[in-house]
Amino acid sequence: MDNLLEINNLHASIGDREILRGIDMTIRRGEIHAVMGPNGAGKSTLSSVLTGKPDYTVTEGSVSFNGRDLLSMAPEERSWAGLFMSFQYPVEIPGVTITSFMKTAVAAHRKARGEEPLKTADFLKMMKEKMAFVGMNPSFSKREVNVGFSGGEKKRNEIFQMAMLSPTLSILDETDSGLDVDALKIVADGVNSLHTPETSAIIITHYRKLLDYVHPDVVHVLKAGRIVATGGPDLADEIEKNGFDRF
Amino acid sequence: MGHGRYIPSEPVFEGAVLVDRPLREVCFAGVKRRYMVTSGGDLHLTCLALPGSDALFDISVDLLDEGALARLDGLYLSLSDEDIRLRTTIHHRSGGAISRQLFKGIAGGTSKAVFDGTIIVAPDAEKTEAYQENHNLLLSEAARVETRPQLEIYADDVKCSHGATVGRLDSEAQFYMRTRGIPETEARILQMLSFLSPVLETLPEDKRSEVTSSVEASLRSI
Repeated sequence: MDNLLEINNLHASIGDREILRGIDMTIRRGEIHAVMGPNGAGKSTLSSVLTGKPDYTVTEGSVSFNGRDLLSMAPEERSWAGLFMSFQYPVEIPGVTITSFMKTAVAAHRKARGEEPLKTADFLKMMKEKMAFVGMNPSFSKREVNVGFSGGEKKRNEIFQMAMLSPTLSILDETDSGLDVDALKIVADGVNSLHTPETSAIIITHYRKLLDYVHPDVVHVLKAGRIVATGGPDLADEIEKNGFDRF
Repeated sequence: MGHGRYIPSEPVFEGAVLVDRPLREVCFAGVKRRYMVTSGGDLHLTCLALPGSDALFDISVDLLDEGALARLDGLYLSLSDEDIRLRTTIHHRSGGAISRQLFKGIAGGTSKAVFDGTIIVAPDAEKTEAYQENHNLLLSEAARVETRPQLEIYADDVKCSHGATVGRLDSEAQFYMRTRGIPETEARILQMLSFLSPVLETLPEDKRSEVTSSVEASLRSI
């Protein structure tokens, strides 16, 4: 099966306000898709619905992930199935260190696959390797999750978690917002080196910035809850030049 | 911050525990106790109220000399219909002494927890340091928590602070953890344990793991 994600006629609301008004999108294995759109287009709603945020209601349509009905799964089940989202605003969890957070997450993934928990030494070795991979200072392993992190450190921590969980589909929700060029490059390097012919990514963004470093195969324009245009990388260039008005 | 007139209570306390050296105590439900801490005294008391029974803690500490130290920590879990009362009175009678308090509680079911914490700093008890924190997590609509910090400060040159909060589990953090594959129940337990850990960490080593497992078992049974 080549299609990793199939979104069909997806409608979603928050309260009684409809935000997604019939989204269709198919992502094949190995592809990187960009979803671009102005503020209020529904970009965050799309990523929230795909990851199963409780505040949203799907009123119509379906999403199939790896042949399974994504919308019937709990957020944690989606994660076990290989979905990951890098948050636009990573959440602070006071009192929980990155080590204990990731240990619990990795153990849950292994349990879902019917595997024994990793030995502590093996887990710590894996942490160390992945932190080095995304250029994160090892001292962060003892820090509380995202507490007191700068914007760049938060985003880097997201990519570190992505490396730890090896997802098949990664959603990067406005990962470029609030990052300077150096931080952006680090994030992009991480995303590029985690990319394989078997894994896909959706880059959700307002600006073209990140797309200079992570090259999408397909670009979609989301506006007022609908995909209004789909094309190749040149579509992103055109938006950079002319904005979203013509759509 | 002082209001009214400073009324010193009886300076000699029958039945009070004299603390003139380091003293480490952990007490479970149902304690009424008074301590006098003198120079060289370093009191560290932890109050623990675990689920299943009502509890009343009434702790008074008098700091009598410069250099006296008192640290009071507390952890209370009321998960069904318990009634937990904690009262602390810290009386800085002499300057240059330090008191620190950290009380953390989780209330669920139809339980009730009340924390009354009074700090009195006598006139002339300059260079006093007195800190008090009381933080609570509410797990149900019917559970109730009351926190009543009270500071009576009659001296001028002091460092005193208090902080009191009543909150709920953070749903954004819960969702974030779940997107990383942490099941909902585990996410709740992780958050509650981390909320309590500043108190659990202060327990003496021989009691820490036993109390932590007991707390975790209680949280899992919710």
